[in-house]
Amino acid sequence: MKLHEYQGKELLRRFGVNVQEGKVAYTPDEVRTIANEYGQPVVVKAQVYVGGRGKAGGVKFSPTPDKAYENGQKILGMDIKGLTVNKVLVTKAVDIDKGVEYYVGMIVDRNVQSFTLMACAEGGMEIEELAAERPEAIIRHRVDPVTGLRPYEAREVALKAGFKGNLNKIADIMVRMSRAALELDANLVEINPLFIDENGTPLALDTKFDVDDNALFRHPDLAELRESEADHPLEVEAAKYGFAYVKLDGSTGVLGNGAGIVMTTLDVVNRAGGKPANFLDIGGGARADIVYNAVKLVSKDPDVKSIFINIFGGITRADEVAKGVIQALNEGILTKPVRMRIAGTAEDEAKALLQDVNSDLIKMYPDMFQAAEAAVEEAKK
Amino acid sequence: MAILVNKDSRVIVQGITGREGLNHTKAMLAFGTKVVGGVTPGKGGSEVEGLPVYNSVAEAVEALHPDVSIIFVPPFGAADSVLEAAHAGVELIVLITEGVPTVDMMRAVQEVKALDAASRQAGGKGIRLIGGNCPGLVSSGETKIGIMPNRIYEQKGRIGLISRSGTLTYEAAKLLGDAGLGTSTTVGIGGDPVIGTTFADVLPLFEADPDTDAVVVIGEIGGADEEAAAEYIASHMKKPVVAFISGRSAPAGKRMGHAGAIIMGNVGTPESKLAAFAAAQVPVADTMPQIIDLVKQVLNK
Repeated sequence: MKLHEYQGKELLRRFGVNVQEGKVAYTPDEVRTIANEYGQPVVVKAQVYVGGRGKAGGVKFSPTPDKAYENGQKILGMDIKGLTVNKVLVTKAVDIDKGVEYYVGMIVDRNVQSFTLMACAEGGMEIEELAAERPEAIIRHRVDPVTGLRPYEAREVALKAGFKGNLNKIADIMVRMSRAALELDANLVEINPLFIDENGTPLALDTKFDVDDNALFRHPDLAELRESEADHPLEVEAAKYGFAYVKLDGSTGVLGNGAGIVMTTLDVVNRAGGKPANFLDIGGGARADIVYNAVKLVSKDPDVKSIFINIFGGITRADEVAKGVIQALNEGILTKPVRMRIAGTAEDEAKALLQDVNSDLIKMYPDMFQAAEAAVEEAKK
Repeated sequence: MAILVNKDSRVIVQGITGREGLNHTKAMLAFGTKVVGGVTPGKGGSEVEGLPVYNSVAEAVEALHPDVSIIFVPPFGAADSVLEAAHAGVELIVLITEGVPTVDMMRAVQEVKALDAASRQAGGKGIRLIGGNCPGLVSSGETKIGIMPNRIYEQKGRIGLISRSGTLTYEAAKLLGDAGLGTSTTVGIGGDPVIGTTFADVLPLFEADPDTDAVVVIGEIGGADEEAAAEYIASHMKKPVVAFISGRSAPAGKRMGHAGAIIMGNVGTPESKLAAFAAAQVPVADTMPQIIDLVKQVLNK
């Protein structure tokens, strides 16, 4: 679960990280009030869950409260990569020329089976770009998941990265950031830029925070931060059912049992000359009611012209899948052509059930390629 | 012979009285797996399917001397169950549970590795964790310690199979079976970002197995496990390997169901995986059925 910059900053503040002061505003008037209160130049920053806000015009320096109001007007309501800005963060501006900007981040790293601490003396730019252009500039260090990052390790990393400033204070911020990552079950915590002022004191100017959804059960306060408006409405509904669902931009609805098979199903739809409308994994062991909800969800998508159901039953019983599909058909929810490949556990029972229904809307195929081609053909009609 | 497990492997089930634990215990028994008992805290002394249930893994180990434990414990307690089994000295731990917090897995995997090293140093057989979020493993015609459909693993074959995806393992095993090739052992390593056993950990076992002629690796987008596997194959493997990569059309930055299946920046892209396999001279199938053609080709070389 991604968090907004202001939320990530608040979490880091709880762990004692020196974070740049700021307040959230929903209207240009509120922006002006905050700017007046601070009595100094501010930066107005769009709060949306995507990178590259600056380039899109969503981050603006505002020397006066009037200018802040004007920038608030420009940014609020703006569309950044498909997301509407409905709130901004108003922060005290920092004179960037009077210090240096660095990058520090903690990321779940499957290659070391733990977190990796990353540090780079070239802050302010996207870490992906940095990694692509100058990988050698990024210092990487495995963090022990039990002990966490020790101050001496942080100092070593800061030295290797070429950080200038008060080494102890910089190391302290890195230790606090890593503690936040481990204690709050983050997938990713970044401070970028980490600003070091002329006195050598570090300050977090911007953050990225991504929390492990699987761990939200032990962080009820974080779970409440989930903002549905950031996602596609169908993704919000899918989350209620517990589905792994991603809205895509094609017209063939896709549904399968297991992340691997659904990923391959997307590949097969592409190969057949079509475009998937979504990724939907009904999970393992799904019963008829879950399948029914999945069919309902995909049917709701106005972009969907046909549905491709690809099942290889293991823990999931194919006949339960069939029952769910049939229920959706009987209740009039299923109105788009369904093309199916159904195999594995209880395959024969499933096929018998579906044959008995004898509907033109549902057709079965012996393999996933034929089913994909048929589904794509229907979507093109 | 098979790798990791065979018909004599003695298996206990952690979470045997839960819905999934019970259903899959029945399915494993039907396959012929030597399930010898189970563990559910608080239900010690009862029986399930004629098998004794214990309150702790330590009690079950003392009474039953299992080689393997398979875990069906819900996410919040799953990593703890792994550590319970590891400290009780179970040599092979298979974690089926999906949705275990990543930080829990980091800590469990690290501790299991430390126990493994200590066991080996003391002359023991070591301790290995497979999973989480995996379908388990099966030595065809001998034993199944997992949740795969029984039917496709009844016939013994000579192709080793390693996969990050449950369903695609079934798909591949069925294709190999239908083609008359069949599988020796199938290992589902799991789709999470932090797992106990990787492709590169399993490959040497197949290389050393006299009953495996070739290996199929089923990877997916995200992480760099396939790249590490390719490196191992290039420098250590004499047996032929064929690969498949799922999710080649997935958009960057979106998590495709598996927590580990996400392209982040330039890490985990299909291109880098394809390039790594190409460099290791491992043929990569474009579709699942093409895996069969490629396996036949490499066997005929």
